[in-house]
Amino acid sequence: MNKVLTRLFLFLMFLLPAILLYIVFMGIPIVESLYYGFFQWDGISQKKFIGLHNFMELLSDETFRKAFLNNIYFILFSTFIGLPIIICISFMLSRVRRFRQFYRTGVFLPTILSTAVVGVLWLFIYHPDVGLLNTVLRLLNLDSLTQYWLSDPNWAMISILIANAWQWNGFYIVLILAAILNIPREIDEAADIDGASALHKLRFITLPLIRPVLVVIFMLSVSGSMKALDIVLVMTEGGPFGTTEVMATYMLKKAFQEYQYGYGSAIAVAIFILTLLFAWVIQLLSRKQKEVEY
Amino acid sequence: MFSSLLRKNLVAHLVLSAYLLITLYPLVWLSISSFKTPREITEDPWGLPAQLQWQNYVEAWQTAKVSTYFLNSLYISVVTSLLILLVGSAAAYAIARMNFPRMSTMVYQLFLLGLVVPGGALLIPLYRLVQQMGLIDNHLSLILINTTFALPVTIFILAAFMRSIPRELEEAAVMDGLGAVGLFFRVILPVSSPALATVFILNFINIWNEFIMAMLMLSKESLRTLPVGMSVFKDAFQTNYSLLSAAIMFSVVPVVIVYLILQRKIIEGVTAGSVKG
Repeated sequence: MNKVLTRLFLFLMFLLPAILLYIVFMGIPIVESLYYGFFQWDGISQKKFIGLHNFMELLSDETFRKAFLNNIYFILFSTFIGLPIIICISFMLSRVRRFRQFYRTGVFLPTILSTAVVGVLWLFIYHPDVGLLNTVLRLLNLDSLTQYWLSDPNWAMISILIANAWQWNGFYIVLILAAILNIPREIDEAADIDGASALHKLRFITLPLIRPVLVVIFMLSVSGSMKALDIVLVMTEGGPFGTTEVMATYMLKKAFQEYQYGYGSAIAVAIFILTLLFAWVIQLLSRKQKEVEY
Repeated sequence: MFSSLLRKNLVAHLVLSAYLLITLYPLVWLSISSFKTPREITEDPWGLPAQLQWQNYVEAWQTAKVSTYFLNSLYISVVTSLLILLVGSAAAYAIARMNFPRMSTMVYQLFLLGLVVPGGALLIPLYRLVQQMGLIDNHLSLILINTTFALPVTIFILAAFMRSIPRELEEAAVMDGLGAVGLFFRVILPVSSPALATVFILNFINIWNEFIMAMLMLSKESLRTLPVGMSVFKDAFQTNYSLLSAAIMFSVVPVVIVYLILQRKIIEGVTAGSVKG
C-alpha cells in the first residue's frame, strides 16, 4: 500500500481539531460534572467538599423522586402506548404501495421541528379558550370533556406526553419502516404461499426479524425519556405544582435559579448513571433471546 | 368487490390517512391561524379567515424581532454545520483511510461513546466553562459546543462512507503525485459529497432547532435564536395569537421547505447505521 497515508504526524493533525473540541467541551465537562457533585457550592464562593452528602439528600428529596417518576412516565408512555401505535403504522406503511412516499413524508414532518416550537404550538392547541383541542370537543358537543389541559395537575403530564409523542413518533416510524423494507421479499412470499394472514405475518415474521431495530428504538426512547427537558421547560416549566417536573428541569432549577451547583451536578450525575443503568438492563434483556439470522 | 378492496389495502389506507391527518392538522391549523385577526381566532377558532392577514407576518418580522432571531439562527446554523463538516471529515478521513488501524479503532470508539453522553447533564460545567472563556453572549460558544456534540454522529456516517471508497482511486492519485492532504481535498472530499450533503443537512436542522444551549448561553435579545425567541414570545404575546402564529410559522416554514426538497437525503441520514442495529 502507498506510503502517503502512513505518516503519524499527518494522522494526528487530521484528528487534532476534533479531539481538541471533544476533550474541551465534552470530556472535561463530564469529569467536572462528577466532581462538582461532591461539593456544596453556589458557583461563586469557596467550594466545600461534602462527600456523598448531595447524593444521600437526593434519595430523600421528595421533588427529585417526583421528577424521577415523571421521567418513568415518559418511558412507560412511549413503550406501552407509543410503540404499539408506531409498529402498527410502520407495518401498514410497508404493505401499501401507493402514497407510501407521501405518508412517510407527512408523518416524519414534526420530527424536524424544534422542540421549543413544538412546545409553543401545543401550548396554543391546549389553550382553554382558543385552543384547537377544546374547540374540537365543543364542536362535537362534548363540552364536559374540555379541560384546562396544562394548568390542571391531573392533565398536565399526559398533555405533555402527547405533544412529545406527536413530535417523535414519525422518527421511529421511519426507522422501523426502513427495517421492515429490508426484510428479504422471499420470506414474505413464502408466508403468503402458506396462507399466513397479515396479523400472523406481523407477529411471527416481521416483529422477530426487526427485533434489533426495536431494541435500538427502545434504547433511544428510554435515553430520550431520561433526558427530557426542552418540551417541559417550554410548556409548563415543571408546573402546575411540580406535577410535570422532570429530573433535568429540576437540575436546571437547582443550578441556575437557586445557585446550588453542587446539588445540580449531583442530579446530572444521577441522570447519567440511571440512563446508563437502564441501557445496560435493556442490553442484557435483549441478548437473552438468540439473535435471528436471515 | 369486498375482497378486491381488501387486496388494495383499503383498511391500511384509511388508518394511515387518519394518522396523517392527526399529525398534520396542528400545522395546518397553525398556518390558518397565522392569517387571521386576533378576533377571528377567539370567535371562530375553527374557520377560515375572511381575509388573509399578511400584516401578521410583517408585524412579527419587524416588531417582534423575528428578523433578528431568524438571521442569528441562519448564521449559527450555517457556520456550525460547515465547521462540523470540516472538523468531522478530517477526523473521519484519518480514521477511515490512514494506516493506523489500532489507533483508528480506539479513536473511533471514543467518538462513538459520545453518542450516549446526555448533553443536558453537562449544562452546568459547560456554562461555567463558557463563562471562564468569556464567551457568554457570544455566538462562538454555541458554535463550538454544537460542533462538538454533532461530531460523533458526523464521524460515524462519514467514516462509514469513506471506508467504502475503493483503494484504487487513491493509488491512481498517488501515482499522479498527490500527498495525504491532496488526497483528502482532491479525491476523498469530492467523492464523499453525497455523504457530506446528508450530514450537512442533518446537522443544519438539528442546530436550527437547538434550544437549551442557546437559551443558557445567550441572554442578550439581539443575539437570540428563533427557538429561544419563540419561547420568550409566548409570554410576551399571551393575547395576540395571530402574531404568535405568524412568528411560529417563521421557524416552521424554512425547515419544512428544506425537508420537502431534501427528504430522501434526510431520511437516508436518519436511518444510516440503525437499520441493521
